Amino acid sequence: MSRYGSRSSFDLEWIERWARKVNDDRILPVVGRFFTSKFVLGFDDTEYLVDVRGGKIQKIAQGLTPNDMGVEFWLKAPSSAWSKFAQEVPPPMFNDIWAMAHPLHKQLIIEGNSLPFWQNLRALTRMLSLMRQV
Amino acid sequence: MNTHDPIVGRYVYVQCEGKTYRTYYEEHGEGIPMVCLHTAGTDGRQYRHQLCDPDISQNFRVIAFDMPWHGKSIPPADFHLMEDEYKLTTKFYCEFIVAFCRALDLRKPVLMGQSMGGNICLALALRYESEFSAFIALEACDYSPGWWIDPLHHPHIHGGEVVATSVFGLMAPLSPDDYRWETWWYYAQGGPGIFKGDLYFYSVDSDFRDQCQKISGKVPIYFLTGEYDFACTPEMTQRTAEKVKNSECIIFGGGHFPTSEDPAKFKEVISPVLKKILSADPERRGQGSNALSGRSISESRSSSRSERPNEGRKVIEF
Repeated sequence: MSRYGSRSSFDLEWIERWARKVNDDRILPVVGRFFTSKFVLGFDDTEYLVDVRGGKIQKIAQGLTPNDMGVEFWLKAPSSAWSKFAQEVPPPMFNDIWAMAHPLHKQLIIEGNSLPFWQNLRALTRMLSLMRQV
Repeated sequence: MNTHDPIVGRYVYVQCEGKTYRTYYEEHGEGIPMVCLHTAGTDGRQYRHQLCDPDISQNFRVIAFDMPWHGKSIPPADFHLMEDEYKLTTKFYCEFIVAFCRALDLRKPVLMGQSMGGNICLALALRYESEFSAFIALEACDYSPGWWIDPLHHPHIHGGEVVATSVFGLMAPLSPDDYRWETWWYYAQGGPGIFKGDLYFYSVDSDFRDQCQKISGKVPIYFLTGEYDFACTPEMTQRTAEKVKNSECIIFGGGHFPTSEDPAKFKEVISPVLKKILSADPERRGQGSNALSGRSISESRSSSRSERPNEGRKVIEF
């Protein structure tokens, strides 16, 4: 349904469907066994908190509150970029978070503590790739 | 009945910058020697399909070697005493390639390299053009910044997984899964800090933007870049090729690791190039037919954050 990138917004209902894909995935419990983190996905000005424990998403929330302590990193991009990323066959320069974040392309901004981002890059990459199945 | 690849592997001792490097290489075929350079942090296995392809090996002696520190080539004996981290320099890279070719008594080989192995073709064309008969620069350009970064060699980060995953997106989504993950595996097996050290050459020590125009053009250079290469984009290759005399630029539907991520696709794009090289050098071709028919290879098979709602927000627990 997202193959042609027609999506212009990523609402909570869409994020929930993605999270359920993540939690149904049979690879993430293996490659994400030690992936426990809180991070934020930003689509334009909309932010979603993603709370991950052992490679499974425990909670998603739209927006952040003062009670949301321990958020480690932010991945923020225009929805137009996420829209291409989430296509079943994403176009060149949008098929990977590092492709979008690379200084040559600057579509994705990575903020916060980049250490857990890099430490869990394989599981995170798998997790985000499941957007292509939503 | 058991099946073997026709590849033969050996070790040769190569002298370079006052040290001896026990260097592993694999080869197959007869005819024009064609030396193949792997990408950063990996090894010659990236050429296993081309080494086994009868359409190539009947006219070319295909040779793929592992750079020192890579694959089955070991580091120099005193590496544990080094006072700086491993960094590949343009000077060493050039000199080692030339020394390897001389160690095998190769006369004017074709040089094919990808990524950093493609970029070094520019330096070799500037400094050692008389040593080679043609350059095939895959995923190459005159300047490729942004890759010499500490997360690729950090004690709190799994080097193999992060190195391999950081390059996975350089491959085209439609390249076969098996081959994309095989390529991931090669990267995951690199020595600690070697990928990052190679990228010192790739992103820091090699900037040919003001030198490309000085390449004489006596030796042809074929540039081939896949459309999914975000480290060396098609535009970057095209801009480079426009500055290099006697060059051709081919953009194809693939990624940064064409020889290993999609060997069938690579065969389609490289066959016309190899035909041209053969027709320019007919005396040295192998004894087989001059096919290069294009049939499948044997295996073919702004940083401001949004306003944060404090109340009424939607939360979903799993």
